[in-house]
Amino acid sequence: MAFLLRRLCFYLAAFVAAATINFFLPRLMPGDPVQIMFSSAGAELPPESLQALKLTFGFVDGPLWQQYLTYLGSIFSGDLGRSIKYFPLPVTTVLGNALIWTVGLMGTATIVSFALGTFLGILAAWRRGSLFDVIVSVGAIFATSVPAVVTSLIVVFTFGFTLGWFPTGYSADPALDPAFTFEYLGSVLYHGILPMLTLCAVLTGGFAVTMRNNMINLLGEDYIVMARAKGLSDSRVMLWYAARNALLPTVSSLAIAIGTVLGGSLVTEVVFNYPGLGNILYQAILARDYPVIQGQLLIMTATMLIANFVVDVSYVLLDPRLKRA
Amino acid sequence: MKTSSFPLIHNRKAMVGALIVAFILAVAIAAPLLTSYDPGARVGRPHQSPSLEHWLGTTRIGQDVFARLIYGARTSLAVGFGAGLLITIVGTALGIIAGYRGGKIDEVISFFTNMVLVVPNLPLLLVLAAFIGQASPWVIALILGCTSWAWGARVTRAETLSVKQKDYVKSAEMMGEPRWRIMTFEIFPNLISIVGINFIGSVIFAIITQATLEFLGLGDPKVVSWGTMLYAAQKASALSVGAWWDILTPCFALAFLGIGLSLLNFAVDEIANPRLRTGNRLGRWSALIRSGEGRL
Repeated sequence: MAFLLRRLCFYLAAFVAAATINFFLPRLMPGDPVQIMFSSAGAELPPESLQALKLTFGFVDGPLWQQYLTYLGSIFSGDLGRSIKYFPLPVTTVLGNALIWTVGLMGTATIVSFALGTFLGILAAWRRGSLFDVIVSVGAIFATSVPAVVTSLIVVFTFGFTLGWFPTGYSADPALDPAFTFEYLGSVLYHGILPMLTLCAVLTGGFAVTMRNNMINLLGEDYIVMARAKGLSDSRVMLWYAARNALLPTVSSLAIAIGTVLGGSLVTEVVFNYPGLGNILYQAILARDYPVIQGQLLIMTATMLIANFVVDVSYVLLDPRLKRA
Repeated sequence: MKTSSFPLIHNRKAMVGALIVAFILAVAIAAPLLTSYDPGARVGRPHQSPSLEHWLGTTRIGQDVFARLIYGARTSLAVGFGAGLLITIVGTALGIIAGYRGGKIDEVISFFTNMVLVVPNLPLLLVLAAFIGQASPWVIALILGCTSWAWGARVTRAETLSVKQKDYVKSAEMMGEPRWRIMTFEIFPNLISIVGINFIGSVIFAIITQATLEFLGLGDPKVVSWGTMLYAAQKASALSVGAWWDILTPCFALAFLGIGLSLLNFAVDEIANPRLRTGNRLGRWSALIRSGEGRL
């Protein structure tokens, strides 16, 4: 419990750090930052948005520390200000609608690639040095060294534009109304499958290599030799003795990989024109919609911290030593 | 355990990697000799398909794609190696200091390292770049250096902790060598393989991230680089109008360079640790790669 509490405090500190960067960046701009942001976003804005923008960045009357506290206060009460591009919509509404799609895409891709990568890693380690191992290892090198944006573009070109098997944009057929019908859900699946597979292609290699190496380090342990000496079947030794223990460090690598998933999904969404956070962010960058750009950092940080915390909890459940500590 | 065929395969990988990187470097240096076109100028009709006149076709506004490709290699390589160097220097210095000094200094550095690791890297870079405006390649290299050192620091610190227990470090301490001397001349040379892997991993990360930031429209569109080529092509809807050469050219160039550098990472590791087992090498390498792409 103490372990989880300590992690929780650390995550809170990390979140405040991200908010602090957000607070100071506009203040480091030369001149009047609000005016600059206002003018760089285009001239057709209503004048009341200027006031909203000032509030978003905590430009209230008073000394700096007071502005800072006001800013932190509004962040923690869930107020990220108002978007410039979609004025007067609040940033939380703009990002919240998109977050569902990103989390859905990201979650599925992480689960699929973690399961697949772990499985490939177990088999590769078990048959170390075989052709299968070489294929998995070399494939992992290629998959991890090609940028997500390149993978996405090549996939969308091949399967979307050239072969025409899958749609090249949107999360569902725009002609359908969102509802819990088979038609709509089928359309969501059909539109989501290509970006999901792209993310899996980016992620699986890393998981496979981590699992493979953990397994190889464990295969020399005495209890593996013991299990074999007892005459247990190969699959039982591989899965119940080696893989179970090798999984533990892999889970902690999952926490780090969440950053990859987040970044990868940003780029993949832009390429596939998928209405998640990445696409909203891309539109916001093009329109220089600063409140939205800053809001996504906070939301992404929060997502990453929550995911890390979930990994911490599962770590405690998997590793009995931590429960006692 | 390992048969002799394995190191051979790895050496071959290393050779291929070195050749790929050397080839791209040579093309980038010799760019003016290889094409007579100005990469920024309009030299043909828009979106012409590849021909003898324009080897890789033209862009939406009639620039020569091949000229942009080879001139763009200069920017991508310069930013990659510049930022990679910066990331490595910061990460190595912080890692060695934290690991060797221990105590309060270690606690402070480790706290910041862990904090930087849990704040997602790409969104943070996007915010920084957005406030800078149209970031030039050198500004991108600089902000990469300031935000991406954490993984290197963590790995270097862990390695320093084991090296500082060695006898030669103890004896240097007994002889009263100053701390900076022990850190630079006793500890650092023994971390060279970690530093080398960190460097190449950081170069890969920097090249990928620069391309991503520029693809997302945060770079300076006047600069010729593989990232701005992607940005311009995507903005001109190159894929949906069928101008595949416009967008696939920088794609394959980035993939080619990424694979070459990854393969080269094996070479550095093998030169530094000839006795390394396959498992360990792949493990550390992949962790670094992931931290690199890591935050992508």
